[in-house]
Amino acid sequence: MTRLSLPSRPWLEISLRTALAILGGYALTYAFTAALARVLPLPRVDAVIVATLLSFVFYLGFILWSFAGVPLRRLALVIAVATPTLALLGFWPNLLERLG
Amino acid sequence: MKPRTFTQSMSWLHTWAGLLLGWALYAIFLTGSLAVFDKELGWWMQPEIERPAGDAAAAAAAQRWLQARHADAGSWNIELPGERAPLLGVTAGDPRRDGSTLIDPASGEPLEPRKTVGGNFFFRFHFTLHLPRNLGIWVVGLAGMAMLVALVSGIVIHKKIFKEFFTFRPAKGQRSWLDAHNASGVLLLPFHLMIAYTGLVIFFVIYMPAALDAFYGGDRDALLRDGAPPMQASEPARGPGQSAAPAPLLPLADFVRRGEAHYGPGMLAGLRVNHPGRADARVIVQPRLGSRIELTKGEALVFDGVSGQLLQTPVPTRTSLLSQRVLAGLHFAQFGGYPMRWLYFFCGLGGCAMIASGLVLYTVKLRKQAKAPRRWLELVERLNVASVAGLGLACVALLWANRLLPVELDRRGGWETVAFFGAWLLCFLHAAVRAPMPAWREQLAGAALLCLGLPLLDLATGGALDGQRLGVDLGALAIGLLLGWAAWRIPAAAAQPRPRPRCAGAIP
Repeated sequence: MTRLSLPSRPWLEISLRTALAILGGYALTYAFTAALARVLPLPRVDAVIVATLLSFVFYLGFILWSFAGVPLRRLALVIAVATPTLALLGFWPNLLERLG
Repeated sequence: MKPRTFTQSMSWLHTWAGLLLGWALYAIFLTGSLAVFDKELGWWMQPEIERPAGDAAAAAAAQRWLQARHADAGSWNIELPGERAPLLGVTAGDPRRDGSTLIDPASGEPLEPRKTVGGNFFFRFHFTLHLPRNLGIWVVGLAGMAMLVALVSGIVIHKKIFKEFFTFRPAKGQRSWLDAHNASGVLLLPFHLMIAYTGLVIFFVIYMPAALDAFYGGDRDALLRDGAPPMQASEPARGPGQSAAPAPLLPLADFVRRGEAHYGPGMLAGLRVNHPGRADARVIVQPRLGSRIELTKGEALVFDGVSGQLLQTPVPTRTSLLSQRVLAGLHFAQFGGYPMRWLYFFCGLGGCAMIASGLVLYTVKLRKQAKAPRRWLELVERLNVASVAGLGLACVALLWANRLLPVELDRRGGWETVAFFGAWLLCFLHAAVRAPMPAWREQLAGAALLCLGLPLLDLATGGALDGQRLGVDLGALAIGLLLGWAAWRIPAAAAQPRPRPRCAGAIP
């Protein structure tokens, strides 16, 4: 991974951060919700409903954290690492089905 | 965003999330508050219709009408009139596809009240902003998330949340706006958090389909089928020839009485009859929403239409789905009758006050900064006028159009919508050419006059006055007085920039 240099212009910094918080945050929440439903020890219909009801709280928390003074690079790193990891956890049976 | 303290970051976030989505949120809150009384407004908008007889009599009239005209239909649908809506609608087939015929419960003759968008206009606008349905749902969902972000960041930046709850310094410019914003925000904070979150919960798997995609391949019906309670009574087995045997249907009024015995008088929404006039006729008695908080869509009692035997009673919803339905029900406010409706209405108006005072507070603060960008300030001020005062005016204009447009006009509902958006567009144009303070005063005064004139319009163009219509008229009168007072209180010109000791919040 090449080193990202921090943008010098404030509007660019704000645009990037907003995009990461809203779009990156949505992607992360999507992966988190699927993973949570997968690990909840409930019948699948209950797991889907409970995880989805909690997803909005997770998304809210993530957006607030994104704007709470975290460096832009760490924000991008968290999204880039956590999203695929959680997505793998949430969707591995679907993935196996697709592959096999 | 320079490196700053946590509170400063949250203040920045509060300002921008609140400002950029504030205009949309205000529109959602105002139309949502009006949608609390959607049926009552719809009643007001069809003054030809009078208070009906009881449900059993209405069901008997509907059965006579359907028996005479649609004896061979595969199914009948009957919408029963209720406390909030006086309509008796009948359909042979699917009411959503075929549209229902309104009949007079007393005479059994078809009624043709004026075509109108009705109070349903506010309901639909509330969750779609009159955009194409799916796009609108997503935009409103985004606004709902922004509201949660603004609320939580607003709590964070309030160090003295308890003290400020008791603080109001009227007629002191910026401080008064700040106090008004804080008071309306903090006082109704539980309501605001609840209404924003439960609004998202209504469309939960549309907004966040991740778990649905992972487990059900994105099929919403499969999820609901999985969550549905098991059927208790199985249908008796029948040979193929047996099902078509003709058999008389019992009087529907009987089923209404038995349904009311289960759900309570006046608590039935409608009846559905499958295979009327045949041996396998089924009468499905559907309750009105509102006997409980849970949003009980699709629940029903199922009777054998020939023997009258009760075949199926509703089973309690499973806990997870019940949680979602109770949350959605908290948003829909169909429980608790009129006291609850008024509570939601006033809380909704409190939300409007919080959003509007926040929008104004932003411009009041910005105006005091010597190096504030003038054009940006002007744009925000103009948008504030048209989206706050202008939308109010447009909503009343819709009610005026309902009474002033010719009754037999073709595509009448469409013209009412045109009147609403036309009035709103005029407000934007007016705000674009007038200075902000006169624009505020004139649009608020205009909305006040339209509200104050509404009862007179009703007397001049409506039929016999009943409780429901009187309620709308008195409500309009009260709101008109409030708007008139607001218009009268607005100073002639905006305060000029002058040095201030300190500001409680921060503008970037």
